Amino acid sequence: MKFDHVTKIYKETKAVDDVSFDICKGELFVLLGSSGSGKTTTLRLINRLIDPDEGTIYLNGNDTKDMNPVELRRRMGYVIQQIGLFPHMTVKENIGIIPKLERWKEEDISKRTNELLNLVALPPDYFRSRYPHQLSGGQQQRVGLARALAMDPPLLLMDEPFGALDPLLRMQLQNEFLSIKRKLEKTIVFVTHDIEEAFTLADRIGVMHNGKILQIGTPSELLFNPVNEIVSKIIGSENKFKAIKFLQAKDVMIPMDKKYLLQENMTCQEAVNIMISNKIELSIVKESNGDIKQVILSDLLKNEDMRRSINDFGRKLVIVPPDENLSSIITLLKSSNEKLAIVMNQNEIQGLVMIDSVLINLV
Amino acid sequence: MVALVFLIDAIIEQLSLVFTSLIIDICIAFPLAILSVFYKRFSYLVLTITNMAQAIPSFALVAIIVPLAGIGFLPGIVAIVLGSILPIIKNMYIGLTKTNPALIDSGRGMGLTDLQLVRYIRLPLAYPAIFAGLKFSAIIANGIAVLTAIIGSGGLGRIIFEGLASFNVNKTLSGAIPAILIALSLDLIFSIAEKKLKSKSVY
Repeated sequence: MKFDHVTKIYKETKAVDDVSFDICKGELFVLLGSSGSGKTTTLRLINRLIDPDEGTIYLNGNDTKDMNPVELRRRMGYVIQQIGLFPHMTVKENIGIIPKLERWKEEDISKRTNELLNLVALPPDYFRSRYPHQLSGGQQQRVGLARALAMDPPLLLMDEPFGALDPLLRMQLQNEFLSIKRKLEKTIVFVTHDIEEAFTLADRIGVMHNGKILQIGTPSELLFNPVNEIVSKIIGSENKFKAIKFLQAKDVMIPMDKKYLLQENMTCQEAVNIMISNKIELSIVKESNGDIKQVILSDLLKNEDMRRSINDFGRKLVIVPPDENLSSIITLLKSSNEKLAIVMNQNEIQGLVMIDSVLINLV
Repeated sequence: MVALVFLIDAIIEQLSLVFTSLIIDICIAFPLAILSVFYKRFSYLVLTITNMAQAIPSFALVAIIVPLAGIGFLPGIVAIVLGSILPIIKNMYIGLTKTNPALIDSGRGMGLTDLQLVRYIRLPLAYPAIFAGLKFSAIIANGIAVLTAIIGSGGLGRIIFEGLASFNVNKTLSGAIPAILIALSLDLIFSIAEKKLKSKSVY
């Protein structure tokens, strides 16, 4: 999906001001901004609840203006904060309304309803024939999500879906939503003003302010390289510390340079030669048993027998997968009294996390 | 015995005046209310005119029908319809337009057309309001139907007027009491129907 210089004017103020961006297939794109920043307007431009005054919105390369809005909307799921379940219809009727209008067979609608209710962790036998007012807020929002998924749309639009829930429930639903998202592989555009929510869920975030998109980037890009004052204010430097909950090893690691890697069972003499010519003080050795060790130049030089294998001088390092989050890396390093962790994906060294420099960046 | 047959005839006339008018009310109000949902200006026009018709004193309304439509059953119906249509139109219009905006937003966002929004969302949610309007209209219709007897529509009003003209208290009461009972039972029946619709799903 692509926004090309899109502008929407309300009574002379530009609610959305010359906005251009692309959303890739399969990503969760968060529009982050305070109220009045134009994020909801931007979302509603996508399913043509609002039409732009200038600019074009493309979906798979086609101008959405040329499409029938009703058909367009039926190919997009839409979830809003107020949920908007129809109070006079049962859970099943709510989920099945569009399939019914699309003339699905009754048994197909029942089957689809059951599938979706299972997906959102509501046992169908128990919930199918209840009315919305008989459900809790969290259950209602799950039904809202199920209803949005009824037609199996490739694109999902979500406008602060968890905004009205209490913090604990919100966190639980976010986690559930993330695992559902992994199962479904849908493109999702998600509007929120909650920075933590944005950082927890997003693949990429577009930061909006006064109708403009100020910056688009991954959470760590926004955190560490904000383009200007406003972005860093919205992201909030004081919030950086909270980032240890969602920053992952791959966000904070230093990519591994080949020159730091030494062959195992090298003699000390060989190792010293290589390290001096590469101007490095520290090397990493990967042993055949899977251990990763660090070798320090001064240790090797202090040793008297330069023919000994470097394996004897290595100190074993902590290994973490790339999606390990920063707070558990810190715990792990603290308990093993280390300052360095190796990021490994299956059998390949991807980089290293120097915890001191990471923490300095966070404060 | 003759008097009783006479009375039953009058009650049947009265009820047919009321219900014929109500059916015509609904037939006129329904399309007007739905059009009003889509066109703001039109709704303003409709509500202004029906408000004016409502403001006219019922007896005056009955009187001005005569030079326009003459006398008899049909002119009676015209007067009743004019006098009683406002609550139905107003409640239909309010019921259809005061739907929770979040429901309209989510309904439109998931791909319902404007007409489908009326059919599946606005209308079912407006039923209680519509029934409340219907009840009110029915009671007003009953009231005007008593008066239209003076322009020859028949009904219980004829017995009352005859009773009054001949200073016959018994005759007057034998017209007035059934008219009151009809009003009360209309209120009761529509109230029960309204409650039934509401309790189907509490919202």
